[in-house]
Amino acid sequence: MSLLFVAILVGTFIATFTSTSRSVGFAEALKEPGEECKISGTLVREEPVIYDPIVDPGKTVFWMEDRDGKTCRIILEKAKPTGLENSESIDLYGSMIDGAFHATEMLMKCPSKYNESNHVLMNEAGDSSS
Amino acid sequence: MDIDYIGEWTLLAWTGRFLVALAFASALAAVISFLKGWNDWGKRSFQIHAVSTFAVIALVFVLFGFHRYEFQYIWKHLNNAMPMRFILSAFWGGQEGGFLLWMFWHNVLGLILLRKTTKWTGPAMATLSGIQVFLTSMILGIYFGEFQLGLDPFLLLRDAPQYAGLPWTARADYLTAFPLFADGQGLNPLLQNYWMTIHPPTLFLGFAATSVPFAYAIAGLADREDRSWMRPALRWSFFTIGILGTGILMGGAWAYEALSFGGFWAWDPVENSSLVPWLTTVAGGHLLLINRNRQKPLALFSTYYFILISFLLVLYSTFLTKSGILGDTSVHSFVDSGILPQLLVYLLSFLALGHLMLLRPGVWRKRALVAIAILGLICLKGYVIEALTGFLLVLGVAAVKAYRKDIERTEEEDSIWSRDFWMFVGALLLLVSAAHITWQTSLPVFNAFLEPWSGVLASLGDSLDSDFLRDLSAHNLAPGTDLDRTYHLVQVPLAVLIMLGVGFAQWLKYKHTNMQVVLRKLFIPLLVAVLLTAGLLWQFAFEWWELPRVALLFAALFATASNADYILQLGRGKWKQIGSPLAHVGFGLVIFGAVLSTSQKNIISQNQIGDISTLNESLNNREDLLIMEGDTLKMGKYFVSYRDRYTEGIHVKFRMDYFDQLPRVYAPGEVVFFDGMVFEALEAHEASELFTDDMEDHWMFIPFPNERQAKSAKLWESGVPGTKQFTLEPRIQLNEQMGNAPEPDTRHWLHRDLYTHIKWGRVTPPETDEEGWMGGRSHTMQVGDSMLIGHSLLTVDSLRAIADDEKPDRGLLLKDLAIAACVQLKNKTEQSNFEPLYIVRDSLVIPDMFEAEAFGIKMRIESFDPNEETLEMTIWEHLSVRRDFVVMQAVLFPLINVLWLGCILMAIGSGMAVYARWTRDEKSNPKRPI
Repeated sequence: MSLLFVAILVGTFIATFTSTSRSVGFAEALKEPGEECKISGTLVREEPVIYDPIVDPGKTVFWMEDRDGKTCRIILEKAKPTGLENSESIDLYGSMIDGAFHATEMLMKCPSKYNESNHVLMNEAGDSSS
Repeated sequence: MDIDYIGEWTLLAWTGRFLVALAFASALAAVISFLKGWNDWGKRSFQIHAVSTFAVIALVFVLFGFHRYEFQYIWKHLNNAMPMRFILSAFWGGQEGGFLLWMFWHNVLGLILLRKTTKWTGPAMATLSGIQVFLTSMILGIYFGEFQLGLDPFLLLRDAPQYAGLPWTARADYLTAFPLFADGQGLNPLLQNYWMTIHPPTLFLGFAATSVPFAYAIAGLADREDRSWMRPALRWSFFTIGILGTGILMGGAWAYEALSFGGFWAWDPVENSSLVPWLTTVAGGHLLLINRNRQKPLALFSTYYFILISFLLVLYSTFLTKSGILGDTSVHSFVDSGILPQLLVYLLSFLALGHLMLLRPGVWRKRALVAIAILGLICLKGYVIEALTGFLLVLGVAAVKAYRKDIERTEEEDSIWSRDFWMFVGALLLLVSAAHITWQTSLPVFNAFLEPWSGVLASLGDSLDSDFLRDLSAHNLAPGTDLDRTYHLVQVPLAVLIMLGVGFAQWLKYKHTNMQVVLRKLFIPLLVAVLLTAGLLWQFAFEWWELPRVALLFAALFATASNADYILQLGRGKWKQIGSPLAHVGFGLVIFGAVLSTSQKNIISQNQIGDISTLNESLNNREDLLIMEGDTLKMGKYFVSYRDRYTEGIHVKFRMDYFDQLPRVYAPGEVVFFDGMVFEALEAHEASELFTDDMEDHWMFIPFPNERQAKSAKLWESGVPGTKQFTLEPRIQLNEQMGNAPEPDTRHWLHRDLYTHIKWGRVTPPETDEEGWMGGRSHTMQVGDSMLIGHSLLTVDSLRAIADDEKPDRGLLLKDLAIAACVQLKNKTEQSNFEPLYIVRDSLVIPDMFEAEAFGIKMRIESFDPNEETLEMTIWEHLSVRRDFVVMQAVLFPLINVLWLGCILMAIGSGMAVYARWTRDEKSNPKRPI
């Protein structure tokens, strides 16, 4: 009984191992186009974020720099998330198609107001009192 | 440095810290007393602990009530603008408050356990007090050099380490001198919601309640002979199941009502890590149910183990969500607050306690203890992951050893036709389900464990030529985004089996059952489930690959019908037995409602491309609908109209009116466009949903429309807006702290919900120059191209060179080379032709701005490519002609109320089961309560 159970458990794990994706960089993603993966990085602020709802409300185009410093054009298949321009870091899930990364899911970290005020407490309040 | 700070409530801070220290010390005293068997001392210590904890909580509320912003916790989670009704949400908005809430419930539970003293009270209270020692240490806020023990809820801002030594901290009047201290940061507006007032305490009560069966199990392991600990553990397990289940679903309700991720469950790590302890508690509780009356226990090890890991998984869940290790895999972002080592010690201590207690006292327990001590030293040397791996191995060995030798085993197998056997199978299925979810959630942890072995794995992978090992060596596993593949593939078949078991095992008797009777009783529920499933297949469109899903719907219906039938057959006067089948009915309905409403959700905003469909056929805006202010578009069976917007508090609300659909009646001779072709109606008829259904019978294709036909032709439509039905106001919350966030608005019916939210909407006015022109946009166009600019349709009709005799009139020199683009602009009321110029003088392009005032459009031809015959134009739009628009999504969730109904029934059923068990236990053995 217990052996059977362990077998089920192991089988499940192996079965699901295939359904995980990996977090990679653009360089690796380029090698395996079409393969689903996760890429983390930051928004390239020098390039424009293009979102034209009139043309396509479900498409946002921007550039991202991955952890290795490589940049790539991102086609996010969603409406432009609020706060994208201010994001601190971005996680994308999707795959590389024709040299652009097509993202179906996206998570962002935004700087919180607390951090900004923290900054103020560290600097401005200090400056004005000295 | 002695500064007399002005206006601080320092006395209160010191009182608070004293109380925290007292709570810590008294919890410690309670542990020692209960372990020594001095139950009276233990009880008194625990009472002191409870009273000081309650006092700490009261003090923090006082600080919130008086807006004492000199305290960091208050400053971070409160501001002057926040209505006081959210004070509870603010209280548990941070980690300190979360710990206090958790401690609060443990204290309440502990005081209940202490009401009556039994053999088990002392040992169980020792464990519970031990938990309190660890939890209280989380809010001690003592620094040992760099190491921080706990987060002090009474920390003054000026004492916060990040501000140490800054000039303002040395000013006695800093509170009045800087306006910054007159107002706090405020609670994240997303949490300013009534769900956030009731969801966390319910969930935390559920979390806290897992510690009671845990404490009894530890007590049982210490005794090993007497299994009567199972009675109190049993009712507390079912209490946990009811409360934790409700808490989890409340979280789902919050997400559904207030957040915009389009559903109530997203398999988010934070959701998962609260679901998993629930699953294991359900498994553990049912195993207790098997064993409580048996002379020879069945699966005693599993019974212990499931109860133990339920609490340990709660600790693991706390560790995952509060330590920041999940970081970028969850939308619930948590920051590392510097107490990660402490959380880890808390988790590991109880992991070790549970596993050591599984071993019989003796040489193996000592060996394991020594091994753990050595690993602790290795950890202090800096090999943290290696030591942790070793630690888990030691625990694994201990568990296997205990399973084989130390815990009583029954060799005789039970009859396969007994309730015991099927409950055990169900418990194992639940464990597999929990293990799979934990695995997917723990990938970041798993990566951390793989990291030190990366080199070994890589070389192993190369020598064995195994891609699997090479993949592992990269330690970059991430959860997949395809939920079907990541979760449903495994969870749906498991759930099918579990639900079938729930429906079937209820009719079985303990020990042995006459199967013929059972099969006869199963006939009606099976019939009901088959009929209802057939109804579903007829009503909804399922794909063939959704077979497992349909199987799950069937199984859930069967479980529901079977348990409902069981209740009906119970007869009068047996209401005390209703609890369990009622909870099972609820569980069946929850699964049914969740699966059906999610898999059959209908995104009615999909592929509705309105007016612009004629312009660009490749346009496919997937799930979102773009709608201009004042426009009315068809959406599913409704017409939706964007009326206007207004700002209220921190919300920008968008008023969307919904109209029902009236049939469109076409008269003979009416001319329509469809798919770029022109048709004329042959006879009077009512339009069908699809043009293709009508085309053959009612329409005549006109290959060469005459001018009248071309002019009068309109886009074919299947219906026209009727009367207004209702208005929804999805909104965007202006949230400086976390970024603006959309909030849905939902129309509820009994049988379905219409859930709508704004995907994109402008909350700030667009940027313009001083004259009100909005930033120009560049377009490449050819003759014949058209595009929509604001209200107007712009078409490039033709190009022509400007003849010499025209040039003076247009202010051109004879030597200039000029091309005019014949552009037509058309809006609802007028239509005009314009000729913007492209001028080349002495091989230089002279920029020529052209303004079509009546249309609020100006344009400039930037370049002309004679080979491709393409123009590059920049076009500006004036603010005055701009129309507001939003991008929205609307989803129909069918039968979602079944989910909520199931949730309520499950809570009531669990409550009744706990109550019935409680009174029965008290009656049968008045000296052995609690």
